[in-house]
Amino acid sequence: MADDAQAPAPTSKRKRKIRWRQWLRALHRDFGYVAVGLTLIYALSGLAVNHIADWDPNFENYERDLVVEAPLPTDDDAEAARIVQAATGIEGEPIDVYRVTDDLLEVTFDKSTLHVTLSDGKVFQEGQEPRMFLRAANWLHLNRGKKAWTWFADGYAVVLLLLATSGIFMLPGRKGIKGRGAVLVALGIAIPLAYLMWVGSP
Amino acid sequence: MDSTNESDLYRKLARREFLTRAASGTVITALAGGLYVISDGLTREAKAQSRDDGRPRLPPGQRVIERLKPMGGVPGDPSRGNFKLRVHGDVDNPFELDFAELLAMGPVTRRADVHCVTGWSVLSAKWKGVTLKALAERAGMRSTARHVIFEGASGYTANVRVREAMGDDVMVAWELDDRPLRRPNGAPVRALVPDLYFWKSSKWLTGIRFTKRDHPGYWETRGYHNHADPWKEERYG
Repeated sequence: MADDAQAPAPTSKRKRKIRWRQWLRALHRDFGYVAVGLTLIYALSGLAVNHIADWDPNFENYERDLVVEAPLPTDDDAEAARIVQAATGIEGEPIDVYRVTDDLLEVTFDKSTLHVTLSDGKVFQEGQEPRMFLRAANWLHLNRGKKAWTWFADGYAVVLLLLATSGIFMLPGRKGIKGRGAVLVALGIAIPLAYLMWVGSP
Repeated sequence: MDSTNESDLYRKLARREFLTRAASGTVITALAGGLYVISDGLTREAKAQSRDDGRPRLPPGQRVIERLKPMGGVPGDPSRGNFKLRVHGDVDNPFELDFAELLAMGPVTRRADVHCVTGWSVLSAKWKGVTLKALAERAGMRSTARHVIFEGASGYTANVRVREAMGDDVMVAWELDDRPLRRPNGAPVRALVPDLYFWKSSKWLTGIRFTKRDHPGYWETRGYHNHADPWKEERYG
């Protein structure tokens, strides 16, 4: 009789255990969904900015030399700018037309600048086209705008911590933290530690 | 041929193809690496040279490339017509210059090597501008000033010690290799401090502030070294 009375206890323990893991899995799943968009932004931007010494992750830069018919008017900067703009095929109004020296005119547009030598018609054009997605992603990743994005970025960091910790305990058994999981978690911790030991910093 | 033998054959062929491709990839990578090493003559040449002050021409951990890389940042207004430079702080006569007034100060040309903290160096670039010393003299820099803060667009700053900023090759530059400074390199005007890592040479320069106390700048407050001497590899704080 006494044995019978104690019998339900393990079942209820098992039930509680299962419920706990179910909650963890549900949390992991839903936070994971929320994290998808932000992870794409941070991961792609991370790859882009990580290799900043190899390319410009925000802009495609270009430059070219050309010669327009000379001499260009030296007494009418707007007219000289118009002639050069027509020759280069740039659309839109210049932001600024500025006479740097007697012979040098600078015509600035939104995305490019023309440096014009009035006497010989030589034009040096340099400009940049923004990489639309990456520029925005990098701006967010580096938190250039500050303000409310700091809160979102902090929130995302907390979500990543939740994903990492819930991931550790989500699976029972040999594939969980008591088996293969422990080895992989140890590997993930060992990689940065080994690197720090190897480079001897900070 | 029965189906067992056939699938064995496919497995072997797939394995052989994998091994062939892996071997080809390894050979191509090795050849590319070899070519890279052979083609890096600029670095080898620079490593064999010394500066007048006895230091090696190329700081440790640097590789020579032929032209500046963009290296990002939040661009400022690239127009020379809209340019204004404010010189202020621990000075007797703070002032503001437009581009024409800066030009009228009398440009100087310097050949200088620059060294980026990410590992590249550009040697003997020809810079045109006005020395910081000339600007400091015009502003009447006080003897109490110990640091110079370069102020760039969008709140970027970089701090340099006054005694290093008064060098003959430290300048405010608008031309590089006989061309107007390009947008990604800080047009219209940038700072140039050749003997410190290049992040100290603020792009899209808008102000120069002399201060009694040090004010670590944008990268210095984000883990980079406060001083940034390339020969001491002062990359990180």
